Amino acid sequence: MSDLIRRGPMVLGLLVALALPLLLDDFWLQTGLFAMASVVGAIGLTLLVGVAGQLSLGHAFFAALGAYTYAWTVGDPAGQEAGLGLPPLVALVLAGVVSAVVGGLFSPISGRLRGIYLGLATIGLVFLARHLMVNLEALTGGFNGRTVEPFSVPGFSFSNAAPDYLAVAGVQFEGLHRLWYLFLGIAVLSAWLGRNLRAGRTGRALANVRDSEVAAAAMGVNVARAKATAFVISSAYAGIAGALMALAYGRIAPDLFGIQLSIDFLVMIVLGGLGSIAGATAGAVFVVALPLVLAQYSSQLPFLAAPGSGGLDAATLARLLYGAAIIAVLLFLRGGLAGAASRIRHRRSAHQRGTGGPPLVPTPSPDPSGATEPPPSQPAVSTRSEEKS
Amino acid sequence: MTYFLTQLANGLSYGLILGLIAVGFVIVFTSTGVLNFAHGSVLLSGAYLVASLQGPIGFWAAAAVGVVGAAVLGVLINALLVRNLAEANPGTAAILMLGVDIVLLTELTRRIGNNVLSIGAPWGADVVSVGGITLPTSRVVAAGLAIVVFGLLWFLFARTGAGIAMRAAAADSDTAAMMGVRPSRTGAAGWALAGALAAVAGIFLASFPAPGVAPTLALSSFAAIPAWVLGGFDSVVGAIVSGLIIGVVTALAVGYEAELHFLGRGLGEVVPYAVMILVLLVRPSGLFGRKEAVRV
Amino acid sequence: MRNGTRTTLAIAGCCIVALAACSTKDPNASGNGSGGQSDVKAGAGVTDDAITVGMLTDLSGPFAAGAAVQVAETKAYYAQVNKDGGVCDRQVKVDVQDHGYDPQKAVTLYRSMAPNVLALQQVLGGPTSAAVLPLAQADHLYLGGFGWAGNSLKYDNAQIPGTTYSVEAANAIDYLVDELGVKKGDKVGVVYFTGDYGNDSLAGAEYAAEKRGLKIVPQEITPKDTDMSAQASALKKAGASAVILAAAPPQLASLAGVLASQKVNVPVIGHAPTFNPALLDSPAGPALLKNYYAFTSTAPYSSDEPGVKKAVDLYEAAAPKGAKGFEVPLAYAQAELLTDAMKGACEAGNLTPEGVVEAMRKTSDLDLDGLLTTSLDYTDPSQPPTRTVFVSRADADTPGGLKLGETFEGPSGKGYTFK
Repeated sequence: MSDLIRRGPMVLGLLVALALPLLLDDFWLQTGLFAMASVVGAIGLTLLVGVAGQLSLGHAFFAALGAYTYAWTVGDPAGQEAGLGLPPLVALVLAGVVSAVVGGLFSPISGRLRGIYLGLATIGLVFLARHLMVNLEALTGGFNGRTVEPFSVPGFSFSNAAPDYLAVAGVQFEGLHRLWYLFLGIAVLSAWLGRNLRAGRTGRALANVRDSEVAAAAMGVNVARAKATAFVISSAYAGIAGALMALAYGRIAPDLFGIQLSIDFLVMIVLGGLGSIAGATAGAVFVVALPLVLAQYSSQLPFLAAPGSGGLDAATLARLLYGAAIIAVLLFLRGGLAGAASRIRHRRSAHQRGTGGPPLVPTPSPDPSGATEPPPSQPAVSTRSEEKS
Repeated sequence: MTYFLTQLANGLSYGLILGLIAVGFVIVFTSTGVLNFAHGSVLLSGAYLVASLQGPIGFWAAAAVGVVGAAVLGVLINALLVRNLAEANPGTAAILMLGVDIVLLTELTRRIGNNVLSIGAPWGADVVSVGGITLPTSRVVAAGLAIVVFGLLWFLFARTGAGIAMRAAAADSDTAAMMGVRPSRTGAAGWALAGALAAVAGIFLASFPAPGVAPTLALSSFAAIPAWVLGGFDSVVGAIVSGLIIGVVTALAVGYEAELHFLGRGLGEVVPYAVMILVLLVRPSGLFGRKEAVRV
Repeated sequence: MRNGTRTTLAIAGCCIVALAACSTKDPNASGNGSGGQSDVKAGAGVTDDAITVGMLTDLSGPFAAGAAVQVAETKAYYAQVNKDGGVCDRQVKVDVQDHGYDPQKAVTLYRSMAPNVLALQQVLGGPTSAAVLPLAQADHLYLGGFGWAGNSLKYDNAQIPGTTYSVEAANAIDYLVDELGVKKGDKVGVVYFTGDYGNDSLAGAEYAAEKRGLKIVPQEITPKDTDMSAQASALKKAGASAVILAAAPPQLASLAGVLASQKVNVPVIGHAPTFNPALLDSPAGPALLKNYYAFTSTAPYSSDEPGVKKAVDLYEAAAPKGAKGFEVPLAYAQAELLTDAMKGACEAGNLTPEGVVEAMRKTSDLDLDGLLTTSLDYTDPSQPPTRTVFVSRADADTPGGLKLGETFEGPSGKGYTFK
């Protein structure tokens, strides 16, 4: 029974995600692609920040690395920028591998610095990336960027070509529709891997390091190595996310991978609730979709001033609302979106069972049966040990 | 040689202003554990107050209002938002400040529009020439004032009860609280100081040779982050020294870009961060950071 | 475990249903959706009584203020067009969306607009338009007004309102040599933003310098740099006899001011986005009045030509307190260009996005009454429609701060070749 309660929403969400392309227009499809690409990156970051307690603002660097690796690997060898002309599937894997390797090269810093200190040190990577992207023109196309070949497997292309025409239940499936399923598959795979990783040996070792490095070391965990490992894993996720972003854009340029992208990833996981895979997913959807939806629909509100008149116009209001939403979640939702959701679920299931559980729980407490996931809210830099695993 | 000295003087004076901003990062971080992503918009708020009030009430009165206003803004952010976080940890606090930054910056951008507001300082576009080196008067004033401010900060932290309380709270907040130091007070003092320093920096960053107050002024706080990190996160002295290092290195990288062409164009932007990463590879706790901060 | 099996079965079932509904045959393959009974074929964004055109612009980011001026002017323009009977017997509606200078938003909003607009009059911003241009080209959608960067010449659906930054800079070098006494072997500094704007300007200046025997001293900056002391010192050391600045107003104020304070009184040349009239009240004002030259594709706000007068009158009636600047003639010129293309498409009986692009590419001789320098020829997508530029000087008493001097086309501006 508890299994159904736990899995129910997830299965339902997956079914909805599978069916959505039949109903959505291009705006929502494109929003969904960006959101799912961000989900992959956010899961990687939440493993680093929420589980291992390491902060990174260098996520955009690894996303850029993945994006350009992908574009370079599938790129036409005879094209304007260098390319290998390899199959897209190889390129996608390579995007993750190259990012992971470079993340490993950063281990002298990532293994020694802790928490917020690492976060600030990694800001440097983003600026370094920009310098390289602009100056290595043969590879990156410089500030103009380079086009990204569409994804395909033999016999089927995830663009408007080959087959030229494809319809499901009367809805024509163009590139955006087809990419939706590719992205969905990769996002689900990333979430599944992330969940197992967190629950497995590695995840527990990382959590120990987060809670107390001294205790972890005493228990035989190689602390520097554990921290570097977490950084490598998160880099690989970022690389894949970058490759997906490249596919969603169709063309990549240095401006797409600025410090703002790193910050956005961080906002996603903190809003969602640190350390929670579901939270990272919700946070990514929130951060990607909210500004777009606000921008799209705020212009229809009647009471706003026309742009340029000096009054409060729709675009400004949308931006203010976005900032206010971030503040509100952090002030009022303990554990972010995931924390709030687990509280609601907890409350509801307590009611359903009608057992003697506390009717209104002020703070979430781990389900004694161990079936629900542990509360995801773990400080990025914590000295207190709360984990009971 | 004159050219080298000019660039050096440029870099030193700019570095002192960066130091003012970086010290603000340090004080907020040590007193409340917050990575203040809204530092730039607090700086811009102060400068905006000065620019919009200097017409009616004169520059000096406007400058005083701007500095006090930025300090009050800092205190309010801390009291109303940071202290009310659902769960206080550096990660959520940093993101909270991002939210604050978005709100402040959006409103200021709307108010400023595409104008470049003049700061109205009495030194205008004057320059001082000594032995062939020409430096804007505003920069000379900024350098002098920054040195005085740093002296006052030393006096505050070393000789006054309030300052010692702040240092104690920064070093070990639990013990300090047991000794009767009120963390709410040291936190408020830290935010007020940081806001005031940011406004002072803002006034000079909006003075000649810069054009005035424009929304991009908020980005200048990002330039101080390498200085903060290089200095070691929790060291005021480190922030000042690193500010100077970053200022000089940047000025020389730009000034000698033609000679350094093999490293690619646009070196001035990346050099501070390259220096930062190189130093961290050798000294993970920065130049002046406490070892405790990173001990394994 | 039983639940897991059931879930798997359910998903498998759904897949089978979905596959059964699959088809790779296009039921419409034989003909496009026809546009009703009228003799004009109607495409996206066109109904029997209305046409929708789009503006994808920056109303909340760094260029919000200037973008708002263009939105106000464009709306006023089409209100007037509608009063006079509209285009192709249809009223023109303007769909304005704000991307906030964020490429991700721009791409997504583009997806929402593309099926519902006949053309995009404007996509503002370098990174944003770079992200949208390839998509618009795939959709054969007319796209205008994203600035004057030369790399947009790769796209046949892109409209450039005038010439490119590179041709402006090449003309500037010619002008320096021919009119301002810069001699062979002299050095000219180019201070530029990394990106399609700055690098295009640099390319033009480098081409012309080689032709005219000058030497370029490049200095790359970013929008974050507002203190130009180091760049100015470097230019002074190099002995530059003029400076071209492909940047924004804060950089202009700083550079002109520092150069003047170091007693380097050389011409400072900028493009349209370089200048802002508010700078004349800043400490750099006197230096700008003495040394600033604007090389632009669209006419300055104060021009006496009839086209500009119409644009300014319309704007001042619509936004009496609005900022005065190059955005007003630019927005008006772009609206004129798009209206002309839409009328052309109407006459050809093909009021579709493709039809509008075709009509623009058939325009060989369009005169905009002094909004742009010469008559425009859009027939060759790989060439800008003109190579002549306006040369203006800073002037404190002129509305918009720039006083029109002359139009100019030099040998390097004429000969510049696009890569």
